[in-house]
Amino acid sequence: MTVTVERDARAVGKRRQTGPRRPRTRDSYALFLLPGILAFTAIIVVPFLMNTGVSFTDWQGIGSPKWTGLANYRELMDDSEFWASFRHSLFMVVAMAAVPTMTGLVLAAALFDYIGKHFGSRWAAILRACFYLPQVLPIAVAGIVWSWILAPDNGSLNELLKAIGLSSWQQDWLGDPDIALYSVMGVMVWVQIGFPLVVFMAGLQRVDPQLYEAAELDGAGWWRRFWHITLPQIRPEIYVVLTWCTIAALKVFGAVYVLTKGGPGGATDVPSYFSFSTFFEKTQVGYGAAISTLLTVIILALSVVFLKLQTRAEEGDRT
Amino acid sequence: MLTARRRVMTAMAALLGGSLLLTACGGSDGGSSDAKTLKLWHYEGPDSAMGVAWNEAIKEFEAKHPGIKVKFEEKGFEQIQKTAPMILNSSDAPDLMEYNKGNATAGALAKQGLLTDLTAEATKRGWDKKLSAGVRTTSMYDTSGVMGSGKWFGVPNYAEYTMVFYNKALFKKYGITEPKTFDELTAAMDEFVAKGVTPLANAGAEYMAQQYLYQLALSKADRSWVDKYELYKGKTDFHDAAWTYAANTFADWVKKGYISKKSTSTKAEDAGVSWIQGKAPILFSGSWWYGRFQTEAKFDWDTTLWPGSTMSLGSGGNIWVVPKNAKNKDLAYDFIDITMSKKIQNLLGNKGGIPVAADTSAITDPKSKQLITNFNTLSGRDGLAFYPDWPVNGFYDVLVSETQKLMTGSEKPDSYLSALQQAYDKGAPTK
Repeated sequence: MTVTVERDARAVGKRRQTGPRRPRTRDSYALFLLPGILAFTAIIVVPFLMNTGVSFTDWQGIGSPKWTGLANYRELMDDSEFWASFRHSLFMVVAMAAVPTMTGLVLAAALFDYIGKHFGSRWAAILRACFYLPQVLPIAVAGIVWSWILAPDNGSLNELLKAIGLSSWQQDWLGDPDIALYSVMGVMVWVQIGFPLVVFMAGLQRVDPQLYEAAELDGAGWWRRFWHITLPQIRPEIYVVLTWCTIAALKVFGAVYVLTKGGPGGATDVPSYFSFSTFFEKTQVGYGAAISTLLTVIILALSVVFLKLQTRAEEGDRT
Repeated sequence: MLTARRRVMTAMAALLGGSLLLTACGGSDGGSSDAKTLKLWHYEGPDSAMGVAWNEAIKEFEAKHPGIKVKFEEKGFEQIQKTAPMILNSSDAPDLMEYNKGNATAGALAKQGLLTDLTAEATKRGWDKKLSAGVRTTSMYDTSGVMGSGKWFGVPNYAEYTMVFYNKALFKKYGITEPKTFDELTAAMDEFVAKGVTPLANAGAEYMAQQYLYQLALSKADRSWVDKYELYKGKTDFHDAAWTYAANTFADWVKKGYISKKSTSTKAEDAGVSWIQGKAPILFSGSWWYGRFQTEAKFDWDTTLWPGSTMSLGSGGNIWVVPKNAKNKDLAYDFIDITMSKKIQNLLGNKGGIPVAADTSAITDPKSKQLITNFNTLSGRDGLAFYPDWPVNGFYDVLVSETQKLMTGSEKPDSYLSALQQAYDKGAPTK
């Protein structure tokens, strides 16, 4: 049924394209885009090009920059700290994209299909809001609160473990280089989970309830309905969430800045923080610009790949 | 007709978009400055000794300059540290600004020609006579941006140094004698560890840990060692006796429990608060804590210079600089002059700061007197050894990160020192 509706919509689109041109309407729309295009150029394109230009120099933020060609990029290729930070980024992709997407899917389906049906949509909405709350909190606030929770002495988590007789589980959550990255990942899962949940619940609203009813009549359990109806039906939302969250993970900064400042000993450093500290703390502006330029290129490339995969998968669904 | 209307609409949209952009890009009056306004930036908290003194100086300045208004903007230390070069390069520069002293900060700006040469004013107004040699070091920078000689580019109105803060009540509670020598200090720390108390408050995520380490090195160093390290008067070898002793001793102290491994991720504020709360009996840190401890520490406490060392971390305080692009330089000089007056310096001294030109007899608060006496002792024996992160841009971060590794044991002292050597050599100027 959904497919029919989509085909109808595409047919309407086709009719519009093949009909007589309406230049006045299109030009009016173009005018609305103009401020946005200007702002995008001034705020994104021009600074990016300037940043790229600076990345070919040894500029220290003051004085005259000296052209060094690809020297910064060559240094970057051999910089173990940068690649370590990039490896940490992959961990952040797990924490901010993979885990929240999977957990968000299960939670959204449970809220929509179980809580909503058995306890009412109001309870589902309340729980959804609770899960979404970390997304509303500024990351600086959330980070400070979590640094209290994870503090080695008198931190809430360690105190809780002590209270329930698990003192041996107490850790220096943000100070132990073997644990710190996982602690930051845990906080990021908590921060991120609300976003996929809300998107998936919105997606579930448009799934034809008759599909679930028919499946239930045929004796399909919750898991089979989730696997064979929910997942395929909200695939577009899954692609969007995965793309969005992966990009967010690659450029994560605020949480690392507030929780660990990349420490201890670089154990939680990520490229955006590495760029920031190189740029501002070490005032190696040219090198910092090279890091951020490379990061932007990587994010852009990954975004294009994700979008292509998404388009191909959607086209595959339609045929 | 249609085309004409479209053109008009396009032009209007472009105008609107452009004006929106201009509004977004500028629009604030941050850059406004006229002959009737002194635009002043500093980052001292309003309750700190310096904050109180500078506020009084503003009142005094306005009283002495009828019709002139001081437009004070409170900035953050980090804010000024990170954005100063860009701000000073623009027309938004203030007339007078507090800035961090040292080669990697004020020196770098002076080298780039972003600061006004204050040599003539310093001589004319007698600032050069008021400041002792040790304090004056951070005022002057040569053409390479190295402190200690050359022209005056800044004026410090206070000084600072590090000391050992003792919680006397905790020593009494555990029946431990207050140490006078280094051996007695380690003996006392052993006793605290035996009684389940971590003796030293520490912060691995910020400056405190590296300052313990630098102090240990200083206890085996002399002035020429400091000059080599800070002023590049010779080759600094991080595997020499002083640095090796410091790294080994610090790692050993973590192993022995004098310093908690759990302090790897804590910040200076956490360490200060743990001392104020009576959790740690000893804190080694700077005079910038003094005023706060006077107010907040509700137990008997005392201070002493680091035992067994003639040198300690310390210098003139942060400095007033006049940006090259300042519009009212004469007003800025007048303001600096007021902060150097006896009235303001005495106020600073009585509020827990270390004045550089106060009337000693006017300091009446006993704790403040002791603070200044200890500073005079240190300064008198040429013991101000600056700070470990000064020599190289970004060295602070390297020290934090590497010292954290030393604390967690993920790096041995020898590798730690090699990492410092590498970062230092990469950033130190080659003369």
